[in-house]
Amino acid sequence: MARPPWVPIRALGRHHPAPSVWRATMENNAMRERWEQFTNTGSRWGSLVLVALLAVLPAVAPPYLRSLVIEVLILAIFAMSLDLLLGYTGMVSFGHAAFLGLGAYLLAFFTRSVGANLLQALPVVLLGVALFAVVAGFLALRTSGIAFLMLTLAISQMLFGLAIKWSSVTGGSDGLAVARPYVGIGGATLGFGPDRSFYYLTLASFALAWWLLRRITASPFGHALRGIKANEPRMQALGYRTHRLKLTAFVIAGLFAGVAGMLLAAFNRHASPELFGWAVSGEAIIMVIVGGSGTLVGPILGATLVHLLESYVSSYTELWRLVMGLVFVGFVLFAPQGIIGLLRRRGRPPSEVELAAAIKEPEPAALPKERRT
Amino acid sequence: MTLDTFVLQLTNGLVFSLLLFLMAAGLSLIFGLMDVVNLAHGAFYLLGGYLGLSIVRWGGSFWLALLLAPLLVGVLGLLLELTLLRRLYRRGHLDQVLATFGVALIVADLMRAAWGAYVEVVAPPALLAGQVAIGGLAFPTYRLAVIAVGLSLALGLWLFVERSTVGMQIRAGVSDPQMAGMLGVDVPRLFAGVFAGGCALAAFSGVAAAPILTLYPGLDSEILILALVVVVVGGLGTLRGAFFGSLIVGMADVFGKALLPEFSVFAIFVVMAAVLLTRPAGLFGRATATRGA
Amino acid sequence: MSVERQKGTISRRQFLQLGAVGGVVAATGSLLAGCAAPNIGGGASGPLKIGVLLPYSDIYAALGESITEGMRMYFESVDNRAGGRPIELITEDEGTAPDAAAQKARKLVEQDQVDLVAGIVSSGVAAALRDYFHDNQKFLIIANAGANALTRAAKSPYIFRASFTNWQPNWPMGSWAAANLGRRAFISVPDYGAGKDTISAFTHSFTAAGGEIVKVQLTPFPNIGDPAPFLAEIQAAAPDFVYSFYSGAAAVTFVKAYSDFGLTGSIPLAGSGFMVEQDVLPSHGSSALGIKSALHWALTLDNAENQAFVAAFAQRELPSGNKGANVFAVQGYDTARLIVEALNAVEGDMSRTDDLIGAFGSAAFPSPRGAFKMDSTTHNVINPIYIREVQEVNGTIANVVLTSVGEVPDPGDNSKDAV
Repeated sequence: MARPPWVPIRALGRHHPAPSVWRATMENNAMRERWEQFTNTGSRWGSLVLVALLAVLPAVAPPYLRSLVIEVLILAIFAMSLDLLLGYTGMVSFGHAAFLGLGAYLLAFFTRSVGANLLQALPVVLLGVALFAVVAGFLALRTSGIAFLMLTLAISQMLFGLAIKWSSVTGGSDGLAVARPYVGIGGATLGFGPDRSFYYLTLASFALAWWLLRRITASPFGHALRGIKANEPRMQALGYRTHRLKLTAFVIAGLFAGVAGMLLAAFNRHASPELFGWAVSGEAIIMVIVGGSGTLVGPILGATLVHLLESYVSSYTELWRLVMGLVFVGFVLFAPQGIIGLLRRRGRPPSEVELAAAIKEPEPAALPKERRT
Repeated sequence: MTLDTFVLQLTNGLVFSLLLFLMAAGLSLIFGLMDVVNLAHGAFYLLGGYLGLSIVRWGGSFWLALLLAPLLVGVLGLLLELTLLRRLYRRGHLDQVLATFGVALIVADLMRAAWGAYVEVVAPPALLAGQVAIGGLAFPTYRLAVIAVGLSLALGLWLFVERSTVGMQIRAGVSDPQMAGMLGVDVPRLFAGVFAGGCALAAFSGVAAAPILTLYPGLDSEILILALVVVVVGGLGTLRGAFFGSLIVGMADVFGKALLPEFSVFAIFVVMAAVLLTRPAGLFGRATATRGA
Repeated sequence: MSVERQKGTISRRQFLQLGAVGGVVAATGSLLAGCAAPNIGGGASGPLKIGVLLPYSDIYAALGESITEGMRMYFESVDNRAGGRPIELITEDEGTAPDAAAQKARKLVEQDQVDLVAGIVSSGVAAALRDYFHDNQKFLIIANAGANALTRAAKSPYIFRASFTNWQPNWPMGSWAAANLGRRAFISVPDYGAGKDTISAFTHSFTAAGGEIVKVQLTPFPNIGDPAPFLAEIQAAAPDFVYSFYSGAAAVTFVKAYSDFGLTGSIPLAGSGFMVEQDVLPSHGSSALGIKSALHWALTLDNAENQAFVAAFAQRELPSGNKGANVFAVQGYDTARLIVEALNAVEGDMSRTDDLIGAFGSAAFPSPRGAFKMDSTTHNVINPIYIREVQEVNGTIANVVLTSVGEVPDPGDNSKDAV
């Protein structure tokens, strides 16, 4: 491969042609940029159309399909929240299920002790999740890389153990039933039964979460997170208090995951210890990677594909993890940027972040450096 | 706890620690050289155990299983390195780690298809059946043999890495692969060899631990998490770290179970959290070496 | 790699990428379309659709296979007909996670429109699904999950259990153990629902018979890891006997280590029969010799129904290989028969809900476990309980029935449980 010595090798990655080419294409790539926005965090019109389509779906879809879409939307919130850590900030958490489970259990506690009004439960659950996320994040963020991954795993495993052990509070291995939730303001209440109403609650939550995450990732804060992923020492040198930023991202991600957990518990009307399991965290990682990390549309697509595939394949074979594994390895090998990477065709200029990432590691990544003996 | 029981638990701790060392050594070796956390490690452990089971069932001895299963899994590891991981070197370590995660899912289900879902046991060799007396209490001979095997493996690996030419190349590759390459070390071949060796070690421990921990679907992820905890506590990628990490985690598990059985489920994670919060790089890792996946 | 490429032409890679995108879109579309048109069923005619929700992946897969095969065996013996309708089985994977199982239950009920659902191994899954079946007034026949609560506080008119409650084998064992094994018991059980059900049932009758619980050892669930440290504590406590409940992999590691450490000879081991049931007994081998346990079935049970069942089961082919009949297969077989008997009683008319509840509740028929009799008040089977001992019979290791304690109905409340 012919590479001018000044071009970082990463910039020559499979999706980025040489600078001379992209400079030429930049002139007429207005369409392309729009497409990129569409496949990144979702363009305004694109996302509105999607939400509108989902809004009319219950009119034509049978109940089971509706329930599948509910699960997909909840998992999409969960996957997007994980991507804020994994794809945007470069923190690989293997314990994100901790927040999913926490949101579920806190809602269960609330409905059992106070009542099932979601409007009352929401602030309490979010406060609980946020407090836990601050403490957990404060501890976990003392480390990075593999140690961070293992600490987050340990945190979720400890909650898993606690949920099984502390049976007088958590219901132990049988979990806790969740009362039928409703939304009540003053005297007016709207109950969520097995009908379409819960679908619309989930869809509204999903749309709101997506919109909020778009705003967050597009904000200076979001750009700072991407900067941290690309080069944390440089961000520090520029005066960013990266630890505080990462902690904020950790708490925000935890909050969205907590909302997903709340929805899941309200939907299944049950909170079980398995929600804390590492398998749930691992599956979320698969969703993010398969969809395309560092984007919001990616996790949505990933959650859709992975959940539908899993639901569908497991009806035909007990070896559905084999299929999942093959799909996953296929993506890692041939489409490292996930479905998003497939959607974005070649000829696109590398983004600032990718350039920065490339500049950060000027030598071939294959060769580990500065290792101890 | 009486003295007898304490001695017994201490011996139990040694046994489990050295089992953990057997499990973690391969993972640590691969990470040390290649910077890749091999998430298929648990799957290869279980595959080794199942292959050992089949070898014993087909009339082979336990010793043959202990030799042949690692060999087979080592070859599989080699093929995997050549066909899969090598393609991902340019992309960085996260993609390699993710690829091994996918491989773990695939191998787990293939094992389920091949060996079924029942709990399987590999009997220890007749030579090591029965018990010997320790401080007035009986102790299974096989478990004592595990201590001996674990210690010899630790010593053997140490001699290999520190004294042999290949070990020298590995150390060179660890500290500066580019320089090692320029000095004539065939780094890609070294990577392939170490990956195969690490997988073979996983399989070896799978056979060796089978008479104690048995074999069943799902054991792969349990072992992976245990091995990860050990190498993270000890300090990623160093043999010394894996050894002392095993001792700490093994003892924490055994004494946690003995003293606070109800809370033993938390023991190893508490120990790991405590170590990582005070020394993020692990006990024997360098302070800066917190990279990785 | 071709860096300088013409705009407007499509390279092979682009083509492949487009193809892959198309594939993903098409796959997603067909997955959605696959569930777009529910099959209409129900009523009194057409095939009787039975949703079978059992674990075929993860740690309980061996149980799921056995139960399914037991069901199939019985359905085949009645030419796959119940109440004059042909039976159609739709199997789905219960796995271990309640949320995934809930999705499968919805698929069976809402998409496949099954007439009823049978199965469920995990009590956690059963607890999570209880409200779904109760609220939808859909019949659920539990073929394993043994949590006491499903028969007590969480009882539902639409849920029947053809397997057991955790209380059933353990409570009779308390008084038998006090009379036959000794007065000082050490309890070692996994720290989760079934373990705690075991403690309360055994302790209640054991202490009432004058026994004393030396210590209760709660071990990690779901993974016990190396049980050696627990055994050292047992050894130190020197009880008359150990009472425990382990199943699956934990049973094998525990029983093997118990024998490896030479405890089998000095401190007898007893417990709930699942610890030495046929799914794990071949793996125990001789290390299980002498273990006494209580269960509602034994391979060597001497009745015509059982001998025919055991012989017929041995001819079947199972995904994980046939290891012979086990209690789970019996539960599947009885579950199937319960469904057929009840459907026959209402002539296949699923809409006669009250009659069906009555038919399920009054079902009684000969079974490999001796006699199957449903308890119309608790909706749980009244089990004959056998005290068994693992012995070597003609070169094979098997549970031999020492005595039968007769029919044991679950009390339906916690009055016979120690707090």
